[in-house]
Amino acid sequence: MNRRDLISGRHLGWALAGAMLAMGVGGLPAMAQDKPLVIARNMDINSLDPHRGFCDTCQIYFSAAYDTLVGLGPDNKTLTPKVASSWTVNENQTVFTFKLDPKAKFSDGTAIEAKDVKWSLERLKNLKGSPAFLMDGVKSIEAPDAQTIVISMDAPNSEFLGMVAAPYMGVINSKVAAANGAAAGADAATADKAEAWFLANSAGSGPFTLASYRADDELRVKRNGAYWRTAPALSEVVIKQTKDAVAQAQMLQSGAADIAMQVDGETAKTIKGGDVVVNTIPSYNYVYVALSPGAKSNTVKLTPEVREAIAAALDYKGLIEFTVGDAGRPQPSPIPNGFPGSDNLPEPKQDLARAKDLLAKAGLDKGFEIDARFPNMNVYGVDLSQMMQKVQQDLAKVNIKAKLQPLTFTVWREQVSGDGIPLTAVFYAPDYYGSAQYVQYFAMIQGGPWAKRAGAANAPDIINPREGDLLKQALAAPADQQNKLYRDLALEMIKDKIIIPVVSPDMIMAHGKAIKGVRYSACCNLPLDEISRN
Amino acid sequence: MLRYLVRRLVTMPLLLLGIVTIAFALSNLTKGDPLISIIGERQMDNPEIVAAAKARWGLDRPLPERYLRYVGNLVQGDLGISLRTKQPVAKDLMTRLPATLELVLAAMVVGVGGGILLGVIAARYRNRAADHAARFVALIGSALPVFWSGLLLLFVFSVLLGWLPGPGRLDARLTPPPGVTGFYTIDALLAGDFTTFRLALTHLILPACVLGWAVMGIISRLVRSSMLDVLAQDYILAARAKGASGPRVLVNHALRNAMIPTLTIIGFSFAYLITGAVLTETIFSWPGIGSYTVDAARSLDYPAIMGVTIVGGSAFLLTNLVTDIAYAVVDPRVKLG
Amino acid sequence: MRALGTLRRMGLPMIIGGLIVLFWVVVALTIDLWSPYDPFSIAGRRLRPPSEAHWLGTDALGRDVLIRTLYGVRHSLPIALLVVVVSSLGGALLGAIAGYVGGKTDAVIMRLVDITLSFPAILLAMAVTAALGPGLGNAAIAMVVVSWPVYARLMRAQVLTMREREHVEAAIAAGAGRVRVLTRHILPLCWSPVLVNATMDLGQIVLLAASLSFIGLGALPPTPEWGQMIAEGAVNFYQWWVALGPGLAILSVVLGFNFLGDGLRDLLDPRSP
Repeated sequence: MNRRDLISGRHLGWALAGAMLAMGVGGLPAMAQDKPLVIARNMDINSLDPHRGFCDTCQIYFSAAYDTLVGLGPDNKTLTPKVASSWTVNENQTVFTFKLDPKAKFSDGTAIEAKDVKWSLERLKNLKGSPAFLMDGVKSIEAPDAQTIVISMDAPNSEFLGMVAAPYMGVINSKVAAANGAAAGADAATADKAEAWFLANSAGSGPFTLASYRADDELRVKRNGAYWRTAPALSEVVIKQTKDAVAQAQMLQSGAADIAMQVDGETAKTIKGGDVVVNTIPSYNYVYVALSPGAKSNTVKLTPEVREAIAAALDYKGLIEFTVGDAGRPQPSPIPNGFPGSDNLPEPKQDLARAKDLLAKAGLDKGFEIDARFPNMNVYGVDLSQMMQKVQQDLAKVNIKAKLQPLTFTVWREQVSGDGIPLTAVFYAPDYYGSAQYVQYFAMIQGGPWAKRAGAANAPDIINPREGDLLKQALAAPADQQNKLYRDLALEMIKDKIIIPVVSPDMIMAHGKAIKGVRYSACCNLPLDEISRN
Repeated sequence: MLRYLVRRLVTMPLLLLGIVTIAFALSNLTKGDPLISIIGERQMDNPEIVAAAKARWGLDRPLPERYLRYVGNLVQGDLGISLRTKQPVAKDLMTRLPATLELVLAAMVVGVGGGILLGVIAARYRNRAADHAARFVALIGSALPVFWSGLLLLFVFSVLLGWLPGPGRLDARLTPPPGVTGFYTIDALLAGDFTTFRLALTHLILPACVLGWAVMGIISRLVRSSMLDVLAQDYILAARAKGASGPRVLVNHALRNAMIPTLTIIGFSFAYLITGAVLTETIFSWPGIGSYTVDAARSLDYPAIMGVTIVGGSAFLLTNLVTDIAYAVVDPRVKLG
Repeated sequence: MRALGTLRRMGLPMIIGGLIVLFWVVVALTIDLWSPYDPFSIAGRRLRPPSEAHWLGTDALGRDVLIRTLYGVRHSLPIALLVVVVSSLGGALLGAIAGYVGGKTDAVIMRLVDITLSFPAILLAMAVTAALGPGLGNAAIAMVVVSWPVYARLMRAQVLTMREREHVEAAIAAGAGRVRVLTRHILPLCWSPVLVNATMDLGQIVLLAASLSFIGLGALPPTPEWGQMIAEGAVNFYQWWVALGPGLAILSVVLGFNFLGDGLRDLLDPRSP
């Protein structure tokens, strides 16, 4: 878009021009070499307490201020040593033993000991905050000596190591936290008083410490002077609250921000100038459409054939183009591309003939109405209401009339978990690296969240017993067999036709040319310690 | 007069209680569970986590008990804790108040200044081209949706022309000046930091102009009519001077009459500006009370919604009281009550 | 001949206002007959700038912006009309009762008025809509709640003045009942400020509805409501034409009603400034 095309000789406030010239608006004043790195982001922070917060931005902050026992390597698959220098897993994946690195130190200089790890993990479990589910199935945490931690599970859990790399499992300086009101005992849910303290302080061993936090404004971290590994290149990082992609792109272009991670495809195209680099990489997030055969307001029975017809009617290619331009990929199954089990899955394709055929066989060639309620939000660059309007148009081609009703997120949530919604749409982002979380959430297993939402109580035939078996096997399987098991699970979930992923939007990382080391991490979103400035 | 004042002051707590009750009723009528903002959507399926959160935030108590608790805390100045920011609502409001005040005051300067200018021009060139032009500009301002003109001006001045910076109070890289008043412009001047002052000012110009334009209409109209009155009286003065009955009386009379519309302006435009500020702050990412309210309404953060409603309502009540009293002081013809 | 005289007395602004309002009413009533595109389906490629086929370009879903803007009046005007009629009639009724009956009734009604007026309009509207849930219907309820007090006050002041008039006293002396006095002798003289206020309120309600929709508490997609469209335009900021249509539409409607209301006031009561 050429500026000249748009101006076309209009007079625009010449009175201001003089004032502006006098003020010399344009570049930033010259500043010291070590200037803070600015990340423009829509912060969704619900808490800065590592055992209560649960959000994308929280992942960035927690992984910067707190070290976990193990880390996730740049390939987003391999586990690397962090606080734990080595670890062993017993044969049936029920006992995990970690040996702590004797060099590991907190930001106040004290050494990290096994008791800190025990305290932190127990607090995570007992606080019953949002990330507490990560400790489900943990039977006991023992610290036989100052450098060893032994965690035992109720049942085999091959996922556990991946979960340990999640930022919510960071090791907290138990002495400092307890001195400021934190509690980790069984009554922690009521006894702990430290949430407010965490809004202004961090007590970890990570490469950065919390400098200040102003809600809805900015989050500032500064380099941890006593960091026990290689010190980060940056001395200060600011995450600046910027609501929408357009504002983020503007800040990037004007040099007011160095990194913007939530710019969508369309806006990214408008960023001009050689100073900004835009990298498009596949992400693990996706947006999906879900059917609920057990929902109260269904006008017809959503049999497997009808569900398959609906899935076949969607114009997947068109939906991707519509929602994210070309900055997105097809997502065949609820297991995200790049996670174990996602290789070589059949891509979803539109097949209107087959859809019409299936509907005719079910006696529904005249079509039917379906209630489609969904949260009115824009996630990862996808505007759900625009996406659903396109879905509505696709379904109309096989005579299915989707009645769209956008809702606020909270209302949607109540309805989808209550009476159920026949056709809805929502998103998912990984909590940690591992495929079991997806099976546990999306598969039609008795008691599973989406099995409930799809109305297993009213339509018990949607339960897929094979998925339950496969999951148990996968959790107990050694690493080399997991891929095959999860792939089988993915194929089963595709067959269910309850969860129909639509698109996996690419992660668009836009940053200044001089910024190096920006990468997207499956566990931590954006590792701050790897970033440097030329 | 005194009796009126006392009566008004006595009924104020009653009105305030009414405001609190309405605010409480509204936030608890909400469809949708505020818990989702606290613990996240996926955890809602876990009954243990849900129960713990409910207990922590007192959401498991019956409604009347929550009401009484709330009023009890309110009297001590405790507005509860925001479900979204996890900080005391009172603290949130205090932190954000200077931002909104700075914006509203700057907008008043623009609005009053521009309004007076336009009104004087309109009166001077009455019924000629300049009059119509000035009145038109002012009129457009009061008919424009503030959120649209904000977008438009932002696009023109920040993207197209690049004369002014984008949304926000200050450049992200700078630390705000040491907080004395909370106004970035004044604090920067007080600290002698002219670079920050300049940047804070340029960030303030667009939103202030967008918001100020909205009140220019009312102000310029009032200025125009009072100016016309004054001009008319000039002739009367001149005529009377020949058989003068006391120009001082007339001046006094005229001045006093001019005060009433002035007070109306201040009261009215303040209300108008607060309304407009809510939308303007959203567009310009201005971290004030307006954007706080919008965020609270969207996420069903009921302590925050209640807090803003109560504080906003009380402020209004006070402003109305002061305006009414000032009216009475200035013009004894005004019958109170 | 009398019509011409009235026309001249109306003055140019009022005529312009009337024409604008007339334009929108005609669009609202007839657009189905002549619109080349449907406001809900794809008409072209998405986010294309203004061109011959699409005078205001296309939006993010490929829909024609101009047509959606014109269809928007079908959502904004009826709601505004409904809200203003309900709030003005309801408010005026309550105000008339308060002014005429006086005493405790008056005190209660006026306290209600005071409480409602203590909230900044948009805050109260936001709070009510947040409580009831988004949607134009609930937004309409919120707007009625916010608007009725002004009419109550207006009517009450008028009734209080008219109550003392001679012909009213004469009617009472002649034995007329309270209701008859109110409806036959007082109210007919009181309606002009209410009418003026209502006319200008129409524009303000359109603005308020658009504001609520912009925040996300009013009309929801895919409704082509102007505030909702501007919100979509904010998302596609660099595609300036998406927000241009609805913005100009709101501007013209508000101006139209302002002019009309102003002119009405001049016609009915030339003494006011």
